[in-house]
This record gives sequence, C-alpha cells and structure tokens, in this order.
Amino acid sequence: MVTVNIDGKKVEVLEDTTILKAAELAGIWIPTMCFSELLEPYGVCRLCSVEVIRGKRSRIVTACNYPVREGLTVRTNSEKVKWIRKLIMELMYSRWPNVPVVKEMAVALGITESRFKSLEIDEAEDACILCGNCVNICRDVVKASVLAFEGIGIERKVVLPFNEKSDACINCGACAYVCPTGHIKIKSLEYERGALKDWHLGPKTAISIPTLQAVPRVPVIDKEACIKMQTEGCGICSTFCEPGAIKYDMQDEEIEIEVGQILITSGFQVMDLRQMPQYGYGRLDNVYSSLDFEHMLNSTGPTNGTIMCKDGSEPRAVAIVHCIGSRDENYHKYCSRVCCMYALKFAHLVKDRTPAEVYQFYIDMRAFGKGYEEFYKRLLDEGVNMIRGKVAEITEASQVNGNKPYLLVKCEDTLIGKFREIPVDMVILCPAIEPSADAEKIKKIFSISQSPDKFFLERHPKLDPVSTMTEGIFIAGCAQGPKDIPDSVAQASAAAARILSLISVGEVAVDPIKANVVQEYCSGCKICNNLCPYSAITFLEDKKVSDINEMLCKGCGTCVAACPASAISGKGFTDIQILAELEGLLTP
Amino acid sequence: MAYITYLMVCAGTGCVANQSMKIKETLIKELDKRGLSNEVSVVTTGCNGFCGVGPIMVVQPDGIFYQLLKASDIPYLVDEHFIKGRPVKKLMYIPDAKKPPIPKMSDIDFFKKQVLIALRNRGLIDPEKIEEYIAREGYSGLAKALTELKPDEVITEIKKSGLRGRGGGGFPTGIKWETMKKVPGDKRYVICNADEGDPGAFMDRSIIESDPHSVIEGMLIGAYAMGSSDGYVYIRNEYPIALERLLKAIGQAREYGLLGDNIFGTDFKFDIRVIRGAGAFVCGESTALMASIEGSPGEPRAKYVHTVEKGLFDCPTCLNNVETWANVPQIIMKGADWFTNIGTGDVTHDPWGGSKGTKVFSLTGKVVNTGLVEVPMGISLREIIFDIGGGIKDGKKIKTVQTGGPSGGFIPESMLDLPVDFDELTKVGSMMGSGGMIVADEDNCVVDMAKYFLNFTQEESCGKCVPCREGTKRMYDILENITVGKGTEEDLALLEDLSGMVVESSLCALGGSAPNPVITSLKYFRNEYLAHVRDKKCPAKACRQLNTYIIDEEICATLGHGCDVCTKSCPDYAIYGEPKKAHHIDQLKCHKCGACFDACNFKAIKIE
Repeated sequence: MVTVNIDGKKVEVLEDTTILKAAELAGIWIPTMCFSELLEPYGVCRLCSVEVIRGKRSRIVTACNYPVREGLTVRTNSEKVKWIRKLIMELMYSRWPNVPVVKEMAVALGITESRFKSLEIDEAEDACILCGNCVNICRDVVKASVLAFEGIGIERKVVLPFNEKSDACINCGACAYVCPTGHIKIKSLEYERGALKDWHLGPKTAISIPTLQAVPRVPVIDKEACIKMQTEGCGICSTFCEPGAIKYDMQDEEIEIEVGQILITSGFQVMDLRQMPQYGYGRLDNVYSSLDFEHMLNSTGPTNGTIMCKDGSEPRAVAIVHCIGSRDENYHKYCSRVCCMYALKFAHLVKDRTPAEVYQFYIDMRAFGKGYEEFYKRLLDEGVNMIRGKVAEITEASQVNGNKPYLLVKCEDTLIGKFREIPVDMVILCPAIEPSADAEKIKKIFSISQSPDKFFLERHPKLDPVSTMTEGIFIAGCAQGPKDIPDSVAQASAAAARILSLISVGEVAVDPIKANVVQEYCSGCKICNNLCPYSAITFLEDKKVSDINEMLCKGCGTCVAACPASAISGKGFTDIQILAELEGLLTP
Repeated sequence: MAYITYLMVCAGTGCVANQSMKIKETLIKELDKRGLSNEVSVVTTGCNGFCGVGPIMVVQPDGIFYQLLKASDIPYLVDEHFIKGRPVKKLMYIPDAKKPPIPKMSDIDFFKKQVLIALRNRGLIDPEKIEEYIAREGYSGLAKALTELKPDEVITEIKKSGLRGRGGGGFPTGIKWETMKKVPGDKRYVICNADEGDPGAFMDRSIIESDPHSVIEGMLIGAYAMGSSDGYVYIRNEYPIALERLLKAIGQAREYGLLGDNIFGTDFKFDIRVIRGAGAFVCGESTALMASIEGSPGEPRAKYVHTVEKGLFDCPTCLNNVETWANVPQIIMKGADWFTNIGTGDVTHDPWGGSKGTKVFSLTGKVVNTGLVEVPMGISLREIIFDIGGGIKDGKKIKTVQTGGPSGGFIPESMLDLPVDFDELTKVGSMMGSGGMIVADEDNCVVDMAKYFLNFTQEESCGKCVPCREGTKRMYDILENITVGKGTEEDLALLEDLSGMVVESSLCALGGSAPNPVITSLKYFRNEYLAHVRDKKCPAKACRQLNTYIIDEEICATLGHGCDVCTKSCPDYAIYGEPKKAHHIDQLKCHKCGACFDACNFKAIKIE
C-alpha cells in the first residue's frame, strides 16, 4: 500500500493503482472521455490530465494510466489542469458539436462555445470521436482485430479491412457496446437480405435471451459462440455481473428424480416441406412455411413485423395453401386440425397490414370451434379469395418486360371445375403436424403404444383419453394427436387432475393378480424379459435373476407360461394352489 | 597489391544521385586505358558530408579534393593529374570567385573546423569492406570491452563519458544502460533507431552509408554491457543504399564471428535483425517504433513505465539512435576522459551537467556550403554557419536559424553566439533534435516557415491523441489564415494558448515538441506576426497573398519593351497592355499567385 496526496486528500491505495482509481476512492471527479472500465486505459483524449508534483518539478500526466507511487502529490484541479482540459474540450467541441457526450462534457467544463473553427467538423449526433474503444475491445478482449484505425493525423478514422465486412468479425457487438456516441450500430443482416430461409432462429450473440417470449426470461450463454469458452479471452460478463451469476464451468447434468407418475407431453413437429418439391419450399424465394411467416409477423422478429418479400418489397398477392402433407394419402392421412384457423388468421393479418390480395387454397374449411365459423364469415366479408382445390404446383414465373418476377400457383378450382394459375408474390404453406421425431424412443422408454398415425395411444378414446396402457403414465397435448391450444390445455388439465387424484389418496390400490419370480429357480435366461407387454420384468445384474415390478405387472400370465424353469408363478395362482382348488372343487 | 594513389569516390546518396557511380566506372575505364590500373585504385566511400558540391572525389594520400565532377571531365582529369602530375584547378573547390581554388580537402573551411568521431571513417574507407573498418581500429573497442572490461565497467565508462542520446532527447546514455541493467529478465533487447524522419536531415543515413560497422560495434558493446543477446535495427526503407550496406555489414560481421555465438571466444552472443520502416515520421518515437517492430500500427503509448523496464514485447529494451551507437566504440577504445575533453559543462557528478563529444548537423537552407558537419559540442552557431557553412548565399543577411528538425525552434540572429549543446538550445526554446539546422535569410518569412513545419507535423501526427491530432491541425489552420491575411491579433493569443496546451498534454514527444517553431517564432519574431495580422503585409514578401504586385512601367517599357511574358503567365488574365508598351496589373482580378513575378525577366514587377 502506498499513500498518495490528491488535492490535499490522503488516499491509501495499492501500488500501481492509477491516479484515476485513486481519485475515485478519494471521491474526486476527473473528467474522462476515452476511458472504459472494460479496457486497458488508452489515454488519448487527455481530458483526465492532472498535474503530478515531485519535489519542485511538476508534470502533466494522464490520470487514467499513470501508476501511483509512494508520496506522489497530484493536483486534479490546478489552473494549469483546468486550462488544458478546457482547450482540449474546445478542440473536440469544435469538431463534434452535436455529439451528446462531447456536449455534456463541454458543459461540465464550462464551455459553451469553441473559439476554433474546425474544417473537419462532423455535425452528426452519433459521430465517431476516435476514442479507440471499439478498436481496442476488438483487439484486446474479443481478439478478433477486425476494427482498426486508418490514416494518420486529422485523417484518422476507424475502418474495417478494405471497408468491407470482415469474415473475422464474429458479430459479437462489443464495439457497438463500448462506443460512447452510438456511431457503431448493430444492423440486422437478415433484414437486409429479407430471406426467410436464411434466418436463424437461434441466438446471435454469445449471451442472449433465446426469444423475447422465453420462459423463464433469463439470458443464457451459447458455448459455441462464447469467446471465453472458445479462446479463454474476454470474460467481461462475469466482471460485470454484480450477483456473480455467471459461471463458465457449469456443465449439462443429468438429474435422477424418483416419481410415482409421469405425464408425457412431448408435443409435435411440423413436416419438413422439402419432401414436397412441387411447392418449392427452400428452392423458390418467397415460399414460406407457416412458422417462418409467424416469425416474420412477430414484432420482435427479423423484419419487425413487416410483411415483405425477399427483396424487401411489399407483396402484391399472397397465397395461403392448406393441407400440405395433411389429408394426403402419400404423407399423412389425418387432418392437422389447426391449419385452417391459423391460415385464416394469416389472411386477416395480411389484409390488415398490406393491401395485398389473399388467396386461400383449401380442401375443406374446418372452422369447428367456438367463434371460428364467425371468423371465417368475417374473412369472406374482408374479401379473402377462397379457392377450393388442392394446389398442384408452385412455379416461378420468369421476368417479363422488366416486371418483378412472381410465383404461379397452379390448382384445380373444384367449385367452378376449372384449372387455374394464380400469380402471387408470396406463398405460405401450412405443413402437417407430425409426431415428434423421438416418439419411437419415448414409446420404448415408457412402454406405451402408438396408434397407426404414430401419435401415442390413449387407453380408451372416449372413456380414458389421458391414460395409457401403462399404469402411472399419462399423455396430453399433441403427443396424443394434433390439436389446438384450447384442446391441449383442456387435456393437460384433465391429465393433471388424474395424477392429483392418485397423489391425494397417498397410496395406490393395485390388482392383486401379479406374477412372481422365485429367485431360487430362475436361471437368468432372460426369456421373459422381452416377452412382457408392460416391460415389468427387469434383469437384476447383481443376482443374475429376473425380477418383476409389481406396480407394472398386470398379471397377464405370459411370462408364467413362457418360463422354461417354471420359476414364475401367478401370485395366489401357483400350480399347487390351482390344483388344490381343483381338488377342492372336485371333492364331493 | 600496393597502389600508389587511391581515388576515393563518394558514394553517399547525394553523390550517387549525381552519377558518382558512372564517374567511378569512367575512371576505371580511363585508368585502364592508360595502363594505370596497377598504380591507381578507385574506392567508393560513404558520404563526405559536402553534398552541395557532389559528386566528390578525393585523391589520397595527397588529399586533393575534386568537386562537381562530370563523367565528361574524367579523361581530361586522368590525363592531367595522373599522367602529367598536374592537379586540375578548375575542378577544385573555389570558395569565392575572387580567391584561388583550394586543392586540399583539409584546407577547406567546411572540413577544417569539423571534429570527427561518429563520422571518423567517412571518405576514408570502403563501407562495404569489413577489412577496411578493422584496419582503422574497427572492432577493437569491442575487443577491449569483452576481454578487459566487465559489463558494469563498460556502463561506468559510458556514464563517465557523459554521452547523451543523439536522437533528440539528450538522455544520458550511461544512465539508460544502468537502469536497463538493473531490471531483471532474461530476454532483453537493444535497438538502433535508424528511422530518421526529419525533412532535410540525413546524419544517420550518412553514418550507416559511410561506416555501418561502427553502429554494429556500438550495439555489440551495449548488448554486452546490458546483457542482451538480441538486437534490432529499425531503418527506413527509403534509405536503399544505407539498408544495403547495413545488411552487407551484418553479413560480414556474422562471417567474421563478430555476430552470433561465442563472440571473441567468450560466452557473449548477440545478433542483429533489421526491420524496415515504412516511413512514418512518428515511428522514430521509441514506443511507436517498438510497436511497429511488434507488428502493430506504429503508434506511441504512454511512457510512464519506461521502455528500459518494459519495452519491446514487454521486455527491457534499450533504444539508442544511430549516432549514439556510433560514438560508443570510440569512447570504449579511447576512454571516457578523451571524450569529456570535447564539449561543454561538467559531467563528473551530474550526467545532465553538460554536453560532451561531437554532434553531426545537417546544415541546409541559405548557407553557401550545405552538407553534413560534425562539430564539437559548444561550438557557436555563428561558427557553424559562417566558418563552416561559408555564410549566407548571395551575400544576404541572416535572419534566423532553425535547429532540431520540424519540432525545433527558431533562433534569432542576435543569439548566434550561443554555444551549441543540448541545454543551451533547450533554454532558448529550440532543441538539438536529431541535428537539423536550417538557415534562413531576410527573404524567408518566419510565419511561412512555422506554417511549413506545422504542416509537416500535423500531417505526420499519428492522430492517436486529441491535442496533437486536433491541436496541430488547428494551429496550422490559424497560421494558414495569417499567411493569407485573414489573421487577427486574437489569433496570436489563441496560437500561444494552443501551443502551450499541445506541448503539455500530448501523448508523445511528437506533439510535445511540434509547436516549438510557433512558440519560438512568436517569441523572437512577434513583429513579423503583427505585420501579418495588423498591416496584412509580409515583411519578407514570402507570403504572396499579402503582396501587391505592380509593374514598374519604366522598366517594362524600356527594358522589356512590353514583352508580354507576364500576360501569358497570369492565370487570372489580370495583366493587360499593348505590345511594346508598359503593361499593367488589374488589382481586382489579381489573385496574387506571383506567377508574373517569377516570369518577368527584367525584374519589372515589384512587390508592395
């Protein structure tokens, strides 16, 4: 520890602390412009100039990077220091008169007008004041070294290599963050391209809240993008997180919880539209899936909710095509149930936000829910064109007479019995709802069944629609079959009630008829293990015998019949007991 | 083979540019033709310093000096001098039209008063041959240091000598070495700063061109004293000849085992890498130079932690200028006492107490003899300008001398008796700098000159810190305004204010010294500034925008007969007049470019 005298105040600080830090401890304000907590002091604005006195000699140094020594005397407010700061500020003020940080500092130092006339005056409010923060953070913290200074003297400016976007830029946005004037802005490239197929739904920066509607709404670190985790550099977030919530060494972990009942709500996925090349998804510009379009509609989305074509223009006509993959012999025979209504919603929003014509291509309009039919009627009044017929193909019409290229939707209009080709600028496809890809795996884990459409099978479609054939396993939502949000909520509530009813009792009454392995006789052949339709039999590796989970066993007797060693018997139904019963019955 | 006569043809950049290599070839050819090639040897040497009269050739051992040679003179010269034994008078140095030519180099005033330490081998050896350097006691300083002295003793010797950094700062070299020696760390560097950027200054280039081994030897001694094994020379790529000779010299030194491992059979090892600079003026600043070697943009950083503690690659680093290194071998060989005998002050107790040894200056401007001079410290400016430099051209009156390069200051005529050393020059507001010396006569306007220097520094400012980037530019703008008649008296106050601030608060010495020309000119030539802002007149008539050009009708009509040259030269069509009669200038149209003044062959155009 060393003692320094700052403006007559004695401060005790660690050696090599900067004067700026020491003054802060002493409660003395020193103006700064280029200083950033995140960076090594750069010392270029020279506003933090202070007078250091050693013996009889005094010297002007910058407080931000001058390391203190024992017995140092510092004057932060001498006439000389004030004169220097004012002149520096006058110079800056004459060059960037409208930048807020410059204006504020000028006011703080008592300057209202500059005596200089800068020929290089930049009147923008977000002008670059050449503090160097962006260049330094990119080089020292991010270690990407994308930004650099170009030119010398008054020509100095911050540039990207060759003034082009660099591949070395990792889009971290650190430069924009440290920029005191807002000269560096983060621009959404997606917005520029307008290409939905290139949009990324994932996070762009290493730390982000996955989506604005995320629950819980907390930021997470993307390991692949985090500079700290990839290069051991940076680590700035942890220095800034006051509660110390950021841990770089956290790992994904598996937690085992013992439970009595399980509700499976593994949901659904939408069909990959690339399977149906005739609709051109992923091949033609401006052919979007309903999820893409939903993303576009979102006010926090890439276009801020503006409906636009890839080139950024407003569509003149929009086609919404129902039943892509649903009610289709070649893909899914079932109806996806939700598409009609969200397609109508899209039509309504397109009408609302653009003057575009809207065409709905449907097989049957299924507006079955509460208020749905009324909504359909309203859309007819809004002038949405309803065309009953399955779309055969979507093609790109070539550019004619310099007009904008457009898309042609080919279909048979079954109501008028004619083949039609309708030109549009944008097509929205409504893909089928499918069971999630890992449904097969889940089925095996929980020993439940799937219906032919691969959704999970309920115990009884009318009388027990939330239970499965396996005791204690329940299903709800789209895991059971396509359904909309109200139906999902209703089913999930029902399942929860079923589960609670068992929990409230506290114990479960089970059928007494169970199979039982007599361990002394079991040879560990494992024949029974795979036979059990309820997966109730497990092999005990330590004892080398099979064992039956009584909670899962339904007492069907398959294993009893199959066991070559006759080691399995039905509880209360052993051969001896049956024979004794028979004997009793036959005894007169 | 022993020769009777040696022809030392100067091959410094100046003479090479004036075809000295062609002269050398012609000489060899002509000598051969006359069967003299066994008797007369032609040697190319480094710069002699008297570049104003190049190409130069000195005939040794007689020391006969020939100047302004042309290839066409050579056959005659060879016939006369080497066959008939009659030195050619018309090719000798003629100080004055009325005086006879001076045949001997040592009798010429320009050389007479010089004391050569750093440039002791100039014109005497072929810089591309290490043997010639060794023959002139080369590398014996190193031998002495390595075999007789401990590293600390070397440092003590340098400290005792009072040698101060020749690059501009004048920091005592011994103290720098001692501090560096004390800093712990295995990896340590010595650097030779050969990034000479001052316009018109070429001391370092000449030293490397004429005696590259002296620099290498100096660095070797320094490295031995400070325990370094890695050296760098940072040299401008615009010095092709110096670079080539330096690389050749390093190669020869390696061949002779003077660079590499086990030098002179000791454990000492050292090698030098050459880094070529791209010519940024600011890279002459030590921290910017180191940043440039590291591969970063050449920008200075704060030196609150000295480079001897944390310099190149964050290791202890000792940077000295070419001339400083070149002095070192001589000091070690001849002893500190020999060195302290030359120069001013007393350095036995205080290393800052005086300036010892010699300094090389590049004497330019309105003097008769321009070139490179090495003079003992303490010589007066008057001696340099009038005795060595031969006075002012065309018999005009001296106005001021500007020393220290673009960041130096103006010294008025009244102070010409000032002894030239680090402290005296600093006292009057100028500086030693790297040794530029520009002489101005009454036709030069100090405001215009200050503007010229400020233009250079503001253009060469790296732009990192605000005071230097913005401050020097604004100062230049104000000066520009003054020279075109838009200045006010308030501008002078503003200029003074700004100068002070830029000096105090700039990040590096470039900004810290850039306002010196303005500060000193305002101090010593305030009247000239006042004439510009009050009367809108330039007393030296150099600021053309303040001049009024009029045609002396009598001269125009009688001598020129209305020759019409001025009319054709005028870009503004402001001159009118009938042929054979006096012409006139329409002052409303005239933009004061001065083209007519330059064009008129009869001096009929006057400035008011």
